[in-house]
Amino acid sequence: MKHLTVSTLALCAAMFGVQANAQAVTAEKGGNANMVLLPKFLGILPFDQANRGAEEAHAELGNTGTLLYTGPTPENSVAGQIEILTTAGSQGQAVVMLSNNAGDQIAPAAEAAQAAGTKVVTWDSPIPSGAGETVFVAQVDFGSIGVVMADMAHSIMGGEGEFAVLSATPDAANQNAWIAAMEEALKGEKYASMKLVDTVYGDDQSEVSYNRALALVDSHPNLKLIMSPTTVGIQASAKAMQDEGLCDKVKVSGLGLPAEMVSYTMNGCAPGFALWSFVDLGYLTYYTSYMLATGKITGEVGETFNAGRMGDYTIEQDPGRENGKRILMGPFTVYTSANVEAEAN
Amino acid sequence: MRIPLGTLRILVLLAVFVGTVLFFASQIDGYLNARLFNRISGSVAVIALIAVGQAFVVLTRNIDLSIGSVVGCSAYFTGGILIAYPDLPPILVPLLAMGIGAVFGAFNGFLVARFRLPSIIVTLATLALFRSILVQSSDGSSITTNRLPTWLTEFATLNAFTAGELQFRWIVVISLIVVLTAHVFLTRFRAGRQFFAIGSNPDAAAFAGINAGRTIFLAFVISGALAGLAGFMFLSRFGNITVVAGLGLELKSVGAVVVGGVNIFGGSGNVLGVLIGAALIDLIDTSLVRWELVSAFWREAVLGLLILLAVAADTVLMRRLLRRKPTGGSQ
Repeated sequence: MKHLTVSTLALCAAMFGVQANAQAVTAEKGGNANMVLLPKFLGILPFDQANRGAEEAHAELGNTGTLLYTGPTPENSVAGQIEILTTAGSQGQAVVMLSNNAGDQIAPAAEAAQAAGTKVVTWDSPIPSGAGETVFVAQVDFGSIGVVMADMAHSIMGGEGEFAVLSATPDAANQNAWIAAMEEALKGEKYASMKLVDTVYGDDQSEVSYNRALALVDSHPNLKLIMSPTTVGIQASAKAMQDEGLCDKVKVSGLGLPAEMVSYTMNGCAPGFALWSFVDLGYLTYYTSYMLATGKITGEVGETFNAGRMGDYTIEQDPGRENGKRILMGPFTVYTSANVEAEAN
Repeated sequence: MRIPLGTLRILVLLAVFVGTVLFFASQIDGYLNARLFNRISGSVAVIALIAVGQAFVVLTRNIDLSIGSVVGCSAYFTGGILIAYPDLPPILVPLLAMGIGAVFGAFNGFLVARFRLPSIIVTLATLALFRSILVQSSDGSSITTNRLPTWLTEFATLNAFTAGELQFRWIVVISLIVVLTAHVFLTRFRAGRQFFAIGSNPDAAAFAGINAGRTIFLAFVISGALAGLAGFMFLSRFGNITVVAGLGLELKSVGAVVVGGVNIFGGSGNVLGVLIGAALIDLIDTSLVRWELVSAFWREAVLGLLILLAVAADTVLMRRLLRRKPTGGSQ
């Protein structure tokens, strides 16, 4: 009986909580908070697009503080990220927006920054343990991207045959989560005649991915599709299939940038692929960070806020990480020959 | 019967190479076919150029760790210039890439030769410096295939000639010409022999009137120019160039040089060996992907181990063979 009472109370509290927060908090413009946008490394398109979104929100909110876009160079990604995060904490920056490339190694630096009063909001790639992280702005539900990849494969392969995955690195947390989600989806009856025969890793480098894609074709003579959930891998695979005249036999799909994929989609090498908007991801991440910095939200589960042109968002428990909290952006776009050209320009 | 030491070393390397092919053929179904040659030759064409450039530097008791960044910069900047001026005559483009690479190489060479700074420190610094220049100037935009002239993206798969199903692509032919030219230059010309002289005994070389500074500077310029040419092939082959292009090539090039039998302390070696070394490393790398016994997590470790084995096998075989010969020649 007591147990029941407690849970009823909890239920009421939960409902009340939802009720109380249903009214989304809106931002107060013209605040002063210094922000740092820290990508995995500098110099590639998706991160620059995220910065564009952050700058848009920065201007829109009239923040009198600074927005600094800074990151390590590619060969120094892990150490560089930890160093920049540590420095940001000691400089007293209000928020660091981090696309984590350092796994849990960065957690101590993130905890130190938090202790110094700097909030750490992750986007694109979270801190796996959630330690030192205020909240993660997730581009997409990691489970649903698995279903989308399975469906794209299903439609391109006509529902049957062998296919393989070309990923980034064997220890990339988000890649592994997506591949696992796809394998889970493949257990469905709809996909019974499709077989995932291999998973290889191209290290997110064109040259490695290109050679790996060709090796896949050589190892599996009946291969019908290469599924590559990384922007570098998908275009290198498509180029490799095109170069070797294999596009009629082996198709390519996955996650790609329209600007890089347009020619392969139009000539049939990569008939369909998906991606979300990195501009929107940067915009939403900035809004979240600004709300935290100005004290409008504190980063607790259940808080709802208005993120300008993108609408209302609620902080929730991250289903993929026990101690993580997330804000789910979604949705993503599936690109085919019908819509890729408009997006590429 | 006397076989010169250099030739012996090449033969031993070839034996190791053939042994490796046979090993993988026994492990992987449908391994030995024409496609294997086509795949590996195309990728070795790029690595071999970089490795030969590295060999010039290593011969003079130096090392060039910035070579991957130079490849990335040359590929990116050549692509950028081509997008801005798509009508450049094709013959100028590889020369342009070599020129860009040579400028980076000259910068390394100037610091090492003029100020006598240790090359490992200088090129470790320029590895990061050149990559940063690339990151800063790229402003986050990649070179994409569809913005490049068609002749360039098609060049990488253009065949010079075919023999049955074996395809000899132009990039492979060009790369072989470069290796042979470097070999003849190093072994037959006085200017070439100077690289060995500086490396094997700098004092003696100085007494013989060889300008050490100039030779070392030249080694770095050659290394840069060949990395530039590799950058051109890289651009043609992969089309999409991001700021990570060429990352980690310094390891592959040093690996190829050492496996190829160039003394890491300078003074001896043969670029034909380096070519086989490059082919061996690429063969192992490509084949490991298809060897189901090795998971992706262990592939790097197994690659490292096999390189060690190759070097060890080469050393042991050489020692055995030398012991049998009453008078071991030297080179």
